[in-house]
Amino acid sequence: MDPLLQAFGLVFDPFVLAVIGLSAVFGMFVGAMPGLTATMATALLVPVTFFMPPVPALGAIVTATTMAIFAGDIPGAMLRMPGTPASAAYADESYAMTQKGQLNLCMGANLVFSVGGGLIGVAVLIGFAPMLAEVAINFSSYEYFWLACLGLTCAVFMSNADPVKGFLSLFFGLLLATVGIDPAAGFPRFTFDDVNLMGGVNFIATMIGMFAVSELMRGAVTVDLVTRAVPQAVGSLFRGLGDVTRRYWWNFLRGSFIGTAIGALPGAGADIAAWISYAVSKRFSKQPEKFGTGEVEGIVDATSANNSALGSAWIPALVFGIPGDSITAIVIGVLYMKGMNPGPTVFQENPQLIYSVFLIFILANIIMLPLGWAAIKSARQILRVPRNLLLPVILLFCLVGSFAMTNSLYGVVLMLAMGILGWIMEEHGIPIAPLILGLVLGEMLEQTFVQSMIKADGAFLEFFSRPIAGSLGVFTLLIWLVMLGRGFRRAPVPAAA
Amino acid sequence: MRLNDALLGAILLGFAGWIWWLTSFFPSFPGQDYGPNLFPRILATGIGLCALVLVLRGVRNRAPLLVVEGWVVQPRRVISFLLIPLAALAYILVSDPLGFIPTAFLLLLGLSLWFQARPLVALPVAAGMTFLVHWFFAGLMRVPLPRGVLDSVL
Repeated sequence: MDPLLQAFGLVFDPFVLAVIGLSAVFGMFVGAMPGLTATMATALLVPVTFFMPPVPALGAIVTATTMAIFAGDIPGAMLRMPGTPASAAYADESYAMTQKGQLNLCMGANLVFSVGGGLIGVAVLIGFAPMLAEVAINFSSYEYFWLACLGLTCAVFMSNADPVKGFLSLFFGLLLATVGIDPAAGFPRFTFDDVNLMGGVNFIATMIGMFAVSELMRGAVTVDLVTRAVPQAVGSLFRGLGDVTRRYWWNFLRGSFIGTAIGALPGAGADIAAWISYAVSKRFSKQPEKFGTGEVEGIVDATSANNSALGSAWIPALVFGIPGDSITAIVIGVLYMKGMNPGPTVFQENPQLIYSVFLIFILANIIMLPLGWAAIKSARQILRVPRNLLLPVILLFCLVGSFAMTNSLYGVVLMLAMGILGWIMEEHGIPIAPLILGLVLGEMLEQTFVQSMIKADGAFLEFFSRPIAGSLGVFTLLIWLVMLGRGFRRAPVPAAA
Repeated sequence: MRLNDALLGAILLGFAGWIWWLTSFFPSFPGQDYGPNLFPRILATGIGLCALVLVLRGVRNRAPLLVVEGWVVQPRRVISFLLIPLAALAYILVSDPLGFIPTAFLLLLGLSLWFQARPLVALPVAAGMTFLVHWFFAGLMRVPLPRGVLDSVL
């Protein structure tokens, strides 16, 4: 049977549709609550989808993240508090629009251009991923080694943090990945004779700790602070949008393509896409002085960008097994758990699954229009959910979720340790994302490195002997040089800055 | 709460040294030049180099050894903060003997009351969420949540 038809059959199944619907509501809620991020939503979803077949499991993640990235715009405009980090770039601008009495226009633009940007990201994913997969089928360990290096380097390079601290986080993640039975010699490393550690550091329990527990610890400190009154969006959200589209169609396209490109880069996701496209919008605007005073122009760019980055982040994840952002890092973990190891062969062996992911992406962006409208209209009720009840409930989900991943308390212990570590790291300005990517890619990096070293018999120049590997290698080394230079120039900056 | 870069770097330098020391017990295999200790040693070196930069930078900046935020002097907030990891620790210690349902219920109730939720709201939410989570994970997904004292009832 044609794989596309098969995919339709897989997606338009009552159970899958129900999962998609529920995840959409969940994603909207998590995205709209300040302090709960899209990554956290994904980490908490994985235990729930653990026993499902691949299509509903991936469908839940795709839908929830799509909704969460849009929903993050809602409290940004209403409370000046971005719901997810991806909306932080333009929360001030949105709030300024609200104060000018343009809440409806702001929310309408956020919704419509999020959908538009999301669809462009998906279109690029559909167009490029299978093409890249055909090229990637010929890759050897050299290419994969450089790709993994490039992906990990991008994760450090693209984050706004200090490169030294970024690399620290990355090395630490890679080191965590070496815990357990060594893939080449079968020797248990850093296990301290503990049976649980022999199987390695459980990735999902780590994610839940780093992204949820550390966030709860931060949230607990401010739980008693009173939230401001939420303004209500009354009337049509879509009035005036035709005019905005006519004036800023170029911003929409530019934002979407910048977002798509950044999303496809390994290690950089929706939040960085939003910051960069907002900055680009300001740089090339005819009236840059109006930025920050409540102008819709920059919002159009950035809100298209963060949603378009979501889809394209799946390109390196599906084709190379290299995550485009921390959400797809989880996706790769899920793919391995479901026995469909990401890589170019998935496109040949299970094309119907790949097509299903594409279909769910399109579906999610389409249902975002009515659901987003409903979320905006009921924002006052959503944001009124008391945090003093929500925090304990999320903690319970974390506990049960990490327990379910290992079916033992080992998962919970790991989650707690990683939660505390994540909190300490954030306090010291050490970014978490590189650690997560290191943990996901560690095994692949080590395996391809050792394989290549054995093949080359220690001659490092062999790593550059194939054309694609050579170009990737030179490119990676160039980025390292740039970062080294940047690190030296940055060094004298006082720590307080 | 933030340590001075120099102090943080020194701790990490020690950590890198410890990792290197641990790898020295890894076996090497005759005829195989690249054993299980190669990759961890590269990483330990990387961490050590980053730590060294932090130490140099910290010494040059002469920042205070420890910077704390304002909430650290407010006992109530400190307790709120500590309660999250402590609650997880409590779950690890008592969920097995006590069972999932009582542990989760007490945990939810205790935390939300500490966070100043009204008892009339906190009680039904704690009970409802406990049963919902138990139904979903233990019932639908067959996760072996501990039964504890309710073993005979469930």
